[in-house]
Amino acid sequence: MSKASPLLALEDVHTFYGRVHALKGISLTIAKGEIVALIGANGAGKSTALMTICGRPNSGSGRILFRGEEINSLDTDRIVRLGISLVPEGRHIFPRMTVRENLDLGTYLRSDHIEIARDLDQVFDLFPLLKERTKQLAGTLSGGEQQMLAIARALMSRPRLLLLDEPSMGLAPLLVKQIFSIIAEINRSGTTILLVEQNAFMALKIAARAYVMATGLITHSGSSSQILLDDTIRAAYLGG
Amino acid sequence: MYFLQQCINGLTLGSIYALIAIGYTMVYGILGMINFAHGEIYMIGAYLGIIVIGLAGVFGITSTPVALMLAISLAVAITSAYGWTMEKIAYHPLRNAPRLAPLISAIGMSIFFQNFVQIGQGAKDLALPPLIQGGFAIGDPAGFQIRFSHVQLLLIVVTVVVMAGLTLFIKGTKIGMAMRATEQDRGMAALLGINPDRTISQTFIIGSGLAALAGVLVSLHYGLVNFSIGFLAGIKAFTAAVLGGIGSIPGAMLGGLLLGMIEALASAYFTTEYKDVFAFGILAAVLIFKPNGLLGHNYVEKV
Repeated sequence: MSKASPLLALEDVHTFYGRVHALKGISLTIAKGEIVALIGANGAGKSTALMTICGRPNSGSGRILFRGEEINSLDTDRIVRLGISLVPEGRHIFPRMTVRENLDLGTYLRSDHIEIARDLDQVFDLFPLLKERTKQLAGTLSGGEQQMLAIARALMSRPRLLLLDEPSMGLAPLLVKQIFSIIAEINRSGTTILLVEQNAFMALKIAARAYVMATGLITHSGSSSQILLDDTIRAAYLGG
Repeated sequence: MYFLQQCINGLTLGSIYALIAIGYTMVYGILGMINFAHGEIYMIGAYLGIIVIGLAGVFGITSTPVALMLAISLAVAITSAYGWTMEKIAYHPLRNAPRLAPLISAIGMSIFFQNFVQIGQGAKDLALPPLIQGGFAIGDPAGFQIRFSHVQLLLIVVTVVVMAGLTLFIKGTKIGMAMRATEQDRGMAALLGINPDRTISQTFIIGSGLAALAGVLVSLHYGLVNFSIGFLAGIKAFTAAVLGGIGSIPGAMLGGLLLGMIEALASAYFTTEYKDVFAFGILAAVLIFKPNGLLGHNYVEKV
């Protein structure tokens, strides 16, 4: 793999839910080490884009390349094994399992026990709160704690690419700031991140580049500063 | 003394219900469907047990423990294969169909299995000569004695051991963790790399194996089976699963034991004819006051 080739590339990807044409040919690239934001209104297809990368469902046409390998027709477990991990919208922690069990499930495909133990320590460094609550049922955590658990669980699979879907949703402003600073920290330690956000302003602050989606298409792309200055985008997604 | 005797009888019956109920509750937990053919799976297990014991005799295996081990392991293995095949043929193609479709398919499987066994084995009762005889008698030989047969002891001990084993398996192994994850959030489990189809197959294999175990133990205890025993046992075990909280494995265990006790005590202190009235009456009462069953979960999703 040459240095120039991206970690992830989508080329004219279409996704269908039955007869609904949800992604109408999107193309994007993410280089190793980047944070890229994907912003846009409700129903634009941002979550669908993340789910399609994970093979749920597989894309109807187009190509998805991860580290140069075509992954668009693989099953989800194969894709996860290659190093892609999604934190879905709404967290989806397992409510009747303990915090520790949730984290263990993040390592479902791994068997390198020594490395897993090391990763667990790192995750607890990042989220000290979870360390105090390993035996608590995940369903009894607060919304912010559940979000932290969901991100921590994804990290336990040691992803090369972390896909985050609306990590700030429903959280108090102070918590949102905290989550975003943790996301930046995860990125600094070497994990590439694709971030989907309604809170476009916050997302553009930590991402170097961004794509803007509307009705299943990518309408704009560029550096975050360019997008922040674009008047039409400001009007549509950043509240003027 | 009389009460204690009924408790032993109730525990025996309850163990059977509990073993079958686990299969209902595990499948419901993961697929959200009632597998109405589960009673027939139990019936097939009972037949296989008797057939293997018979064959063991033909092949000159005279040692009872050996014959019994053979019967249990073969009946469990073959019945698990039946359960796995049933899921692949009757339920897997309907995974995304409306909820009613797999239910109808399950009733179809139930009718098919009954007829399959009736044609293959005949409509008459199949009898098993008592393999394990004797037991303990406690109390004044002249007065009322508590009788605790060796078969009853075996049945209760095996059930307790298997339940403890299952609990540890579900709690601690990777397969068990994957089952619980799939039960709680199938989509998320898949996103962590858990293959849902494989997990569902494993669920059917375990549930069917436990039902087969119950079947073999019942034929040892009562000595008679026929092709229709799955119906009533299935309904009772289903009741036990609902009583304990459908979807909950400890619930199925508790529900089964409770139902067995209720039936035994109702037969003892009222009349045998009314034992089902008590069993279903208590089920109705529990559902009125605790709609999720005794140990069913009821949590609020946070946003």
